[in-house]
Amino acid sequence: MSISVHTNDSVETVTITIVGSFDFSLFNEFRDAYSNLGKVYKGYIIDMSMVEYLDSAALGMLLSMRNSINAESSIELKGANDFIRNILMISRFDKRFDIH
Amino acid sequence: MKLLCVDSEPVYREIVSLCAENLDIQVKSVATYEEAIDAFSTYAPDIVTLDIILKGGSGFDLIQQLKLMAGSRFIPIIVLASHTSDIMMDKCFQVGADDFLSKPFNEVLFNIRFKTHMRHVELMKEMYRKNRTLTYFQKVIEREHEMAHQVLNHIQMKSEKNSEHLAITRLSAAIFNGDLALVKTRSDGARLVFVGDFTGHGLPASIGALPVMQAFFDAVENLTSVSELGLRINQILLGILPDYMFCAGYLMLISPNGEIQYWGGGMPNAIIRRSTGQIQPLTSIHMPLGVLLSSEFESILQSEHLDKGDTLVILSDGVLELKNHRNLMLGEEKVNELIIEAYGEEDLVEAQKKVEKRLVDHLGESEQFDDITLVSLRRTH
Repeated sequence: MSISVHTNDSVETVTITIVGSFDFSLFNEFRDAYSNLGKVYKGYIIDMSMVEYLDSAALGMLLSMRNSINAESSIELKGANDFIRNILMISRFDKRFDIH
Repeated sequence: MKLLCVDSEPVYREIVSLCAENLDIQVKSVATYEEAIDAFSTYAPDIVTLDIILKGGSGFDLIQQLKLMAGSRFIPIIVLASHTSDIMMDKCFQVGADDFLSKPFNEVLFNIRFKTHMRHVELMKEMYRKNRTLTYFQKVIEREHEMAHQVLNHIQMKSEKNSEHLAITRLSAAIFNGDLALVKTRSDGARLVFVGDFTGHGLPASIGALPVMQAFFDAVENLTSVSELGLRINQILLGILPDYMFCAGYLMLISPNGEIQYWGGGMPNAIIRRSTGQIQPLTSIHMPLGVLLSSEFESILQSEHLDKGDTLVILSDGVLELKNHRNLMLGEEKVNELIIEAYGEEDLVEAQKKVEKRLVDHLGESEQFDDITLVSLRRTH
């Protein structure tokens, strides 16, 4: 699978790891990853260290996630390579996400 | 599942029928070549067993004939041969048989082989079904793309035509281009520019294009400010697009004296190529259109200036990310070099053609994944 989910209830966080191409083909899988958890977490970490490519559909999927999750919960985009970080910054995703 | 058993020996018709019935398969047994041909069309079996030595004709001919009649349908033919040799077995497969067992055969082995063939038949049937469904949906999507293409062409027609001070290039990846490039001169001589890149392709991307076009031409008519137009387009898109879709874009107003006021969201740097050959980036500092609520929307504008002979080039990320056959992206550095060189050309339309050619050369044999839009504007006096 290109998406794996790991929850850590003791620190109230969930890590969603994406591998390979982050694009429209993951639309349903990605939505399921954060909406089928049974509860709301304080922190969501999207581990992008293994993402090779990201298209504008993926940006849309992230925005959709931000909309559906409680504003009090943080979403961290972690480990993006320079190319992907550049795409995120061009679209000013730092306004809605924590980019590390 | 239906089996047609072709055998001139009654005892084998009996054995095969028993084996098949134990596997819950419907059986029809025939004894001659002619009966086999008849039964193949009327009974329409899913699988056939036959012997090569047959009353009324040759088993080899029968195999060929049945395969011909089956056409594109997959109907396995298992040869149950009373006389066997390597040459004969080889010939069976050459004329189209799918399996070969010699008589007398082991019942367990027969069952195993039979089940394997049935599984293949099931898989093939499933594949045909899915293929039909996919073909249907592909046709639907093609039709929708054509429609979207027509809608967008209609919009694009209203933009100003290429001239000594304007050149627009659009190369779409899908039939419909998710990019939109509109340029129109207002009554006060200032030129309003919108270059947008919608998420996705096809019909979904065209949904936003119509109201954006309307807002753009209204703004031309009413001399609306760039920040006001930005706010309006943002609001329109926020209302009609689902939350996973947005539009990256530049909105620019270029006054006759060369003053540029611009708003950029989610776009790569635009570039001014000075007549001296220097280049200067224009940066997009905002989130794309259709993301932020009106209360959060930042309509802060930036400004620049075009001197006589300077060229402003706006490009979509499809240009920077254009990959060649080695999977290498064109990249910012190459694009900058290209702009410095190509727009040294005095005729703007010729310069643009030079750039187009270089983009096509870079792409080579590889497939274009994203839409490409390139808009260049030159101050000629």
